[in-house]
Amino acid sequence: MKKNVVAAGLILAMASGAALAQMKPDVMVKQRQAAMSLIGKYWGPIAGMASGKVSPYNADVVARNATYLENLAQMPWDGFHDSTKNEKSRALPDVWGQNAKFVELANRLQTETAKLAQSARARDEAGVKAQFGAVGKVCGACHEGFRAK
Amino acid sequence: MLLLWSGLAAAQGDAKRGAYLAKAGGCLGCHTESKDGATPYAGGRALKTPFGTFFGPNLTPHPEAGIGRWSEQDFVRALREGVRPDGAHYFPAFPYPSFTRIVDADLRDLFAYLKSLPPSNRANQPHDLNFPFGWRWLVWFWKFLFFTPGPYAADPALSAALNRGAYLTNALGHCGECHTPRNFLGGPKMSRFLGGAKLAEGAGASSLRSEGVKKTSDKDLKDFLQTAMTPDGDVAAESMAEVVRNTTGQLTPQDLDALVAYLRSLPTLPDEAK
Repeated sequence: MKKNVVAAGLILAMASGAALAQMKPDVMVKQRQAAMSLIGKYWGPIAGMASGKVSPYNADVVARNATYLENLAQMPWDGFHDSTKNEKSRALPDVWGQNAKFVELANRLQTETAKLAQSARARDEAGVKAQFGAVGKVCGACHEGFRAK
Repeated sequence: MLLLWSGLAAAQGDAKRGAYLAKAGGCLGCHTESKDGATPYAGGRALKTPFGTFFGPNLTPHPEAGIGRWSEQDFVRALREGVRPDGAHYFPAFPYPSFTRIVDADLRDLFAYLKSLPPSNRANQPHDLNFPFGWRWLVWFWKFLFFTPGPYAADPALSAALNRGAYLTNALGHCGECHTPRNFLGGPKMSRFLGGAKLAEGAGASSLRSEGVKKTSDKDLKDFLQTAMTPDGDVAAESMAEVVRNTTGQLTPQDLDALVAYLRSLPTLPDEAK
């Protein structure tokens, strides 16, 4: 019984923002940057193949990468915690100042990468080629106003 | 007879060449609404600046809404001198300080291309400018300070490729309009030409003559200008990504080579004091 209470307490603590707030801001910045770097790692080959710059098109690699991306696209956002506002990074103050717009783009990245992954897993090359531009545009739109050059 | 025909064609401009020049000039960006399915060149894109918001006008040959009633001479004067057919000054949001360097033959081809577009009746939107920048006659003073009209003259000391690169960068491509910083009057700071600038809307335009560019390989630079991506998968901000889609990604391999060679030939600027 006691064990259950402890476990329930632990889960509650993790589920609430309390666990995050205790995390050091500089660590959160590193983690969100790591997620972004990995997004770049798996995005590069997809963009290369979808745009025809890299050939031949490898549907297996695209399917694997797109699935990774779909998951990675969910990861950076809780790292933009209020406590990280003053940490040194390329994130611009508008991440917090214009937060609604930032959150909207973060959500859009998740829906667009999910669509990409769906086409990629269905081995639908034309679908991937049609969708990759939509994903790229979300990346660029967010880098525009929310990231220093 | 053939001679006469080709003479006439030259006098009227070559629409097909003009189509390529319009891409190299990036006309589409400001002269098309930024929504899906917008009519190309029918105008409507909002350009936010510290002086207010400008709306790109309709460039299609519609007689009322567009430039259907313009003569070739009107068009040449607009780009070379920054003057409307009725004699009023254009605001320099229209980058005529760059376009003035486009040579006559290219201007004629551009005009022929625009005349070949399907006319759109999309009405122009008035600019929304902050006081007192809405006073058009003030532009006369701006031009007096910052504007030197005249087409690009090839530098005989430079190779043909470098001259072509300079022409693409500074006349058609108007790269400096964003990548050269401006003073409080919106005039370019020529001592920091192509040295990178803060933009009104977002983060800023990076230096085209920094150590960073010098250290990037030709292949990576060209890949970036064709795909808007760096080798590690990082994606450029959307305003540059759009330039890549509409302009640099559409250049012929020779022109892209020339552009990169020209940027490499510029001496590195020291970092600006912060």
